[in-house]
Amino acid sequence: MKLTRSIYLTAHNATSRLCAQRTLISTLAVAAFLAVWELAPRTGAVDATFTSQPSRVIAAGWDIVTSGGFLNDVSVSLAEFAIGFGLAIAIGVPVGLVLGRFPFLRNLLDPPIMAIYATPHLALLPIIVVWLGIGMQSKIAVAFVGGVIPILVNTTAGVRGLERSWIVAARSFCASSWDVFVKVILPGSLPSITLGIRLGLSRAVLGVVVGEMYQSQAGLGNKVMRYGSEFRTDYLLFYVLLISVFGLAATTAVRVFEEKLWTAGK
Amino acid sequence: MDGWKMKPVVLGIASFAVMLLAWESAVRLGWVNPFFVSQPSAVAATLSRTAKSGELEHNLAVSFGEFAVGYGLSIVVGILAGALAARFRTIEYALDPFLWFLYSAPLIAFYPIFVIWFGLGVPTVIALAFLLSFPQIAASTLNGFQNVNPGLIRAARAFGATERDLLWKVALPASVPMVISGLRLGIGRALMGVVVGELFGATAGLGYSISYYGGLLKTTDLIASLAVIVVLGVLSTQGLSALEARFDSWRVND
Repeated sequence: MKLTRSIYLTAHNATSRLCAQRTLISTLAVAAFLAVWELAPRTGAVDATFTSQPSRVIAAGWDIVTSGGFLNDVSVSLAEFAIGFGLAIAIGVPVGLVLGRFPFLRNLLDPPIMAIYATPHLALLPIIVVWLGIGMQSKIAVAFVGGVIPILVNTTAGVRGLERSWIVAARSFCASSWDVFVKVILPGSLPSITLGIRLGLSRAVLGVVVGEMYQSQAGLGNKVMRYGSEFRTDYLLFYVLLISVFGLAATTAVRVFEEKLWTAGK
Repeated sequence: MDGWKMKPVVLGIASFAVMLLAWESAVRLGWVNPFFVSQPSAVAATLSRTAKSGELEHNLAVSFGEFAVGYGLSIVVGILAGALAARFRTIEYALDPFLWFLYSAPLIAFYPIFVIWFGLGVPTVIALAFLLSFPQIAASTLNGFQNVNPGLIRAARAFGATERDLLWKVALPASVPMVISGLRLGIGRALMGVVVGELFGATAGLGYSISYYGGLLKTTDLIASLAVIVVLGVLSTQGLSALEARFDSWRVND
């Protein structure tokens, strides 16, 4: 007992030392990158019009946040994302569950779904704009299309990967179809569903932003394109970084939830 | 056994056929307006017309050229970076935050800055394709190298393998399946880069033509180009999946 504990502790110490080393080197690398980015234009080696600088991006960010209209862009983009991605979950999960349960339907619908999955979903932008116009509807649709396919495919895979004996066992204890669904299938496939949601999330964010960059009247992507065409790299980079931070934060939140699920399962 | 394997294929083809038939007849019966959705027969006619006039060939050649350069670069740089990171821990730790950022940030939002750097057109499209697929390939390569069975490495070392032998005879073959799965995932991302890059600013290519015809509201021509992109996406992904299965076939499950 004591021995295993000391072995465990040694391993633990080694791991935490490695973790500390990793954090140190990663931080140093990022700091070096930021320093070069800040100093290179000052020495005149590169033109700040093309690369901007961290200090300029921060100044631009302050400018943008304190001026009016910023909240409007954020709320337009957020609303497009929330509606499109919410619809993707609301439709992708139930359809995926059904396809996982019924092989006939699955075999029937699998080829078209795979064809859409293999196609870059942003290629659908022009036709969606023709159908729905340049307002919010077209971005909602692109976010939906981007998000729904990974959710659907992973939900289906999750249901199919379930241990058959669990269902048989539940049935032999007189569980109704509804009980089997709610108490076995749904919780059992939850890890795959959240994986699908995580994969779909970044595609939905991309859909909203690129949709706004392509044709729009407002939103973060709209501003990215506008400042790009005005050569204002500092403003442009602030918006790009803001979008990236949102995407990373949302993905990380789902990942944390996912890890909780896995540990809860054990 | 064969009968069971055939069934999904038959059903799949049937579902495509039914969809095309439903689309065509919905238009013919006047239920939907062909201005918005076009119809399969018109799309087929457009495809054969553009194939004859050389327009399709030209667009394909431009898009494929951009794809080949961008994706090719990302294979070389991605595998190199992944292998170096796997071999040297410092490089792995230093690259990690950048790879992670490139992998998960919506990179296409950087498009305007590429235009400022490289100008509108082919170089920007190539840069986008490269930047989208490179982190995927690097991450998979790193993963593959790191998951090589340490017993194999110890055994090779015990028999006097040099660093070079380890790379060529142990690490590389053992990590090939992971690398190829990275290449497969990278294809989709590179294709996305090409199409979106062309959507925004190009003078030729498949993405350009869907955007161009979209602007003119010529849905038939738009859908024809879209169909070509769908077919390319499916073919390339299927091709790499087949390659993956082939390279993985030597592995014995224990």
